[in-house]
Amino acid sequence: METKQHETKSFSLPLGPIHVALEEPMYFKLELEGERVKHVDITSGHVHRGMELLATKRNFFQNVVLTERVCSLCSNSHPLTYCLAVENLAGIQVSPKAQALRVLAEEIKRTASHLFNVAILAHIIGYKSLFMHVMEVREIMQDVKETVYGNRMDLAANCIGGVKYSVNLELIEFIEKSLVRTEKHIKEIIDIYATDKMILRRTTNVGRISAEDVIKYGLVGPVARGSNVRIDTRKTAPYLIYDQLDFDMITETGCDVHSRAMVRLRETLESIKIIKQIIRNIPEGELNTLLPHIPAGEAMARSEAPRGELFYYVRTDGTDMPLRLKWRVPSYMNWDALEVMMKDCEVADVSLIVNSIDPCVSCTER
Amino acid sequence: MFKFLKVLVKNILQGPATEAFPLQPAKTPDRFRGRVTLNPDLCVGCGICSHVCSGDAIRIIPNEEKTGYHYTVWYNSCCLCGSCTYYCPTKAITMTNNWHNSHKQDDKFKMAEHHFIPYLKCDGCGAPIRLLPPHLATRIYAHSPVDIEKIIRLCPSCRQIATAERQGELNESNPE
Repeated sequence: METKQHETKSFSLPLGPIHVALEEPMYFKLELEGERVKHVDITSGHVHRGMELLATKRNFFQNVVLTERVCSLCSNSHPLTYCLAVENLAGIQVSPKAQALRVLAEEIKRTASHLFNVAILAHIIGYKSLFMHVMEVREIMQDVKETVYGNRMDLAANCIGGVKYSVNLELIEFIEKSLVRTEKHIKEIIDIYATDKMILRRTTNVGRISAEDVIKYGLVGPVARGSNVRIDTRKTAPYLIYDQLDFDMITETGCDVHSRAMVRLRETLESIKIIKQIIRNIPEGELNTLLPHIPAGEAMARSEAPRGELFYYVRTDGTDMPLRLKWRVPSYMNWDALEVMMKDCEVADVSLIVNSIDPCVSCTER
Repeated sequence: MFKFLKVLVKNILQGPATEAFPLQPAKTPDRFRGRVTLNPDLCVGCGICSHVCSGDAIRIIPNEEKTGYHYTVWYNSCCLCGSCTYYCPTKAITMTNNWHNSHKQDDKFKMAEHHFIPYLKCDGCGAPIRLLPPHLATRIYAHSPVDIEKIIRLCPSCRQIATAERQGELNESNPE
């Protein structure tokens, strides 16, 4: 049989909006030369739901619930930052107890979110059994959420002026027990991700982005920290009681998919450290201010969501509905850098690189 | 690879991580936010639940004769956020940990809880009022020498008059 001479052809390949390795709809038009990606065009807007307009048709209390449903994985960061913005506007002081409980909810969500992303990485490279194992470990945190808050994803922990829930001794013991289990498993998982040859071969030196490019593109969260850029809103602009807590900002120097995964994994341990400090020392005090009046004005707030800095802006006119509610999510900056990360990568690595920025499409397109 | 094999063996020995529902009951935490339920005896019809409800699942509509109001919670519009329960002053509306909400398409309009809650006539002027739940009244008037049984059956204006009369009697008997 005559063997065809291999030649490098240029062609364009559509990827998405529905694709096995992407959790959410995102459309990529890839210009390829053989197996190498030469150019990438990103089209978004498939899950635009008009939520910012919806927010101006609802009162302040209903918007806490609406913002919680922007995205499932950062479903605590959105209402928290929204509440922080409204509280800044109305000058509401949140009690130390409520602040501690807010941090508790944030860090439980962060642990689950990071584990989810790292599990998907294993799923994409075809390491299904590891994927299942990491998801099972994440399930411990899901059980914590279900037991303490009453739901696996939407915690409904925040309300304007404080929090809606409290924890009793029994729940604290349950959280503590679950943390011990999770920590043990995560240490094992970190060891596997750091040394497993299959993972290393697929993820190191893939999707590289230099620290200069990180700053140029304004990247945030684990993507920036994976390129050794020290940005973390919890450290650089502390909110709630983060300045009183002992935890480290995790950075890696690899600048690739692997270092971003390692940042996430090591951050889960930091989150567990924070949760332990909180549950040992929950201050006494009021949980919230019931039904406060929101005056006219404008305010903003920012916080560190699992994917990076989350920003909320609110403008009001003294009625019970906001005039404008605007949010900027971390994925908005991060997915712009995909064109840098995907430059000259193999076509098989595209979904891996997309996953490495932990894109939250429903947040970005709301 | 070897490290993960160890984990795999451990997981195999551990057995399945999933629950055998529906063959066995699934574990549901007490705090689980499931189907909403209303205790009509405690409801005062203040409407805060429908004000904070983001799914627009709660309807409070007075009947034509103004003898009471219809209270309806639609399970399929409810997003289980728990705001109504949280803001309800009398804790009349609560969340159960019942998550069995699946139903046939034909039954979708039956997926609601409905109550007709009658008004009470004010003992003073006959205006329609809702009875203040006695457990709340005992807290409100804990340090007041009023007859709770009597005062909770009065409308706000008749209550004012009753208070003024009582104060007047007190002043007369105690001129200093």
